[in-house]
Amino acid sequence: MSELISKVGQYFDSQIIDLFIGYTQGNNGFGKPAFFTNKEQLNKLTFNEQCIVNLAVYLRKPELKKYSKIGILANVGTLRAILQLTAENQIKDGQYLILTVKDNKVIEFVNLKAIEEWVSNNMPEPNPERIAKMKEFEALTQEERWAFWTQELASCVRCYACRAACPLCYCEQCVVECNQPQWVGVPATGLGNLEWHIVRAMHLAGRCIGCGECEAACPMEIPIGFLTQKLNMEIAKKFGQIPGTKLEPDYALSTFKVDDKENFIR
Amino acid sequence: MEYRKIKIDKLSNFINAIIAKNKKLLAPKQKKEKVFFAEIKSFDEIAKNYIQTAFSAKSAVFPKCEELFSYEKINGETVLKNPPPPENDTVVFGVRPCDGAAFDYLATFFLKENPDFHFKQRYDKTILIGITCESGDEFCFCTSVGISPSDTRGLDIMLTKLENEYYVEIITDKGSKLIQEFSEYFENAEKIDKTKYTANIPEYFNNKLVREKLSDAFAWEKWDESSLPCFGCGTCAFSCPTCTCFDIQDEANPYGGSRLRLWDTCAIGLFTKHASGHNPREKQSERWRNRVLHKFLYTDEQFGTLSCVGCGRCSRNCPASLSIIDQVKAIMEV
Repeated sequence: MSELISKVGQYFDSQIIDLFIGYTQGNNGFGKPAFFTNKEQLNKLTFNEQCIVNLAVYLRKPELKKYSKIGILANVGTLRAILQLTAENQIKDGQYLILTVKDNKVIEFVNLKAIEEWVSNNMPEPNPERIAKMKEFEALTQEERWAFWTQELASCVRCYACRAACPLCYCEQCVVECNQPQWVGVPATGLGNLEWHIVRAMHLAGRCIGCGECEAACPMEIPIGFLTQKLNMEIAKKFGQIPGTKLEPDYALSTFKVDDKENFIR
Repeated sequence: MEYRKIKIDKLSNFINAIIAKNKKLLAPKQKKEKVFFAEIKSFDEIAKNYIQTAFSAKSAVFPKCEELFSYEKINGETVLKNPPPPENDTVVFGVRPCDGAAFDYLATFFLKENPDFHFKQRYDKTILIGITCESGDEFCFCTSVGISPSDTRGLDIMLTKLENEYYVEIITDKGSKLIQEFSEYFENAEKIDKTKYTANIPEYFNNKLVREKLSDAFAWEKWDESSLPCFGCGTCAFSCPTCTCFDIQDEANPYGGSRLRLWDTCAIGLFTKHASGHNPREKQSERWRNRVLHKFLYTDEQFGTLSCVGCGRCSRNCPASLSIIDQVKAIMEV
């Protein structure tokens, strides 16, 4: 940790950054997102396996506009979110100072291309528990899946914590906030809840980087991450695309290619 | 106040007897990692060994979505209908003292000035059985907001676990009626001192001093910095036992419809956004400030009571690990 602290301290000293987004030790054992504005605060900076919050979610905060250069400590999820946000024209090269730590060594990315390379060599292994659970879902009949999801989603309180926690949910006006016409029912009951989660999953299909923040933020313990994960698996199978791995836009559901194999689109 | 006791093994008989009498029984129930209040059909379903439920039992009297009225067009006439009152009593078992105090606050909010018909319908038929906390965690801070882990405020009946039995305090007429209905499970008892059986919750701040400090804190320059980790998910408000803000929505078709009251949260921008597009709380820090001031200052000015009961849910559930205790302490250090 001392290398990280001294390195970030140097950035403050030489005025390369005036804000650093990282983690401190939280009460619950997990890393707690923290915002450092000077060198003296850095003694609380920490980074370990338990630092799982995707810090890329903060990059869109209007409060950050007053800082001229921001540094960010990124885990793989954060790096993948940064790549996907770049592909979607939300981040420019050189806009942020991006660091990660691997095997106690601090890595500073010289540009976004370097992140692309690093991510391709450090893609996390899929979680075996989640794969097993996904297999369980896939083994269910359509009726059983419908019953499962209608029951789970009935408990949704529509706090939209899933949306707020998602680094890829950056629309200035979300479809659920549109009331002329009212596309999605507002009450936290059956149909509206289903509509919201279907809209959310479809909008993230092929864009979700699988960080799991939506599910972690859900106060009702609804396993919503499986919806986007499944859609991503389908997209990977049919189009060979894995979101958050490339700087260039590569988005199955909105990209037109002249050599598309389907006739209807031509 | 009257006192009774009930043998530990009789408690399940008492609870099962309530259910057998067709009363709706809400109790803490394990979901996955967390415990939620849910309707149970047997005592065995009640969760054991937990500190606090993820959400309070607020929804028993103030549901996340409720119909205020419905209307129907019949032969050119519009017929209005109030929702029917609940048929049976709802008994909420296992209410923590902080949540009891929260129910007391909800009753003040909804009934004091302009009694709310819908809240009253439910509240009058809801009986709260509290339970003294034997332990707390690092998020509990009821003692800092003037509540003790064995407080009876807002509850109808209070249970305290002793060595071989539960000590029963009967606080209200509603509570007394319920105990009389099931009197065979209870024995008479004398008043005892509950201290020995009550959790020791540290006092992190003095709420009187906090209130004084906050009355001058609107322009505090550190609201921005201290709320930076907040990404506006609203979980704090949705899981808060005293948050009462709601949204009104009409669901209609050409033949009829209904007006609904839904939970809302000041943590999201849409909450204060005007039709003009202007938003008086443009930034997350302004929303966070509103939350802190509302809990520790505004309701005290309005009703003479804080609207934070120290249950710790906002911090326990916060995906960004923001702590209300740390926030108040930081303000006190200014």
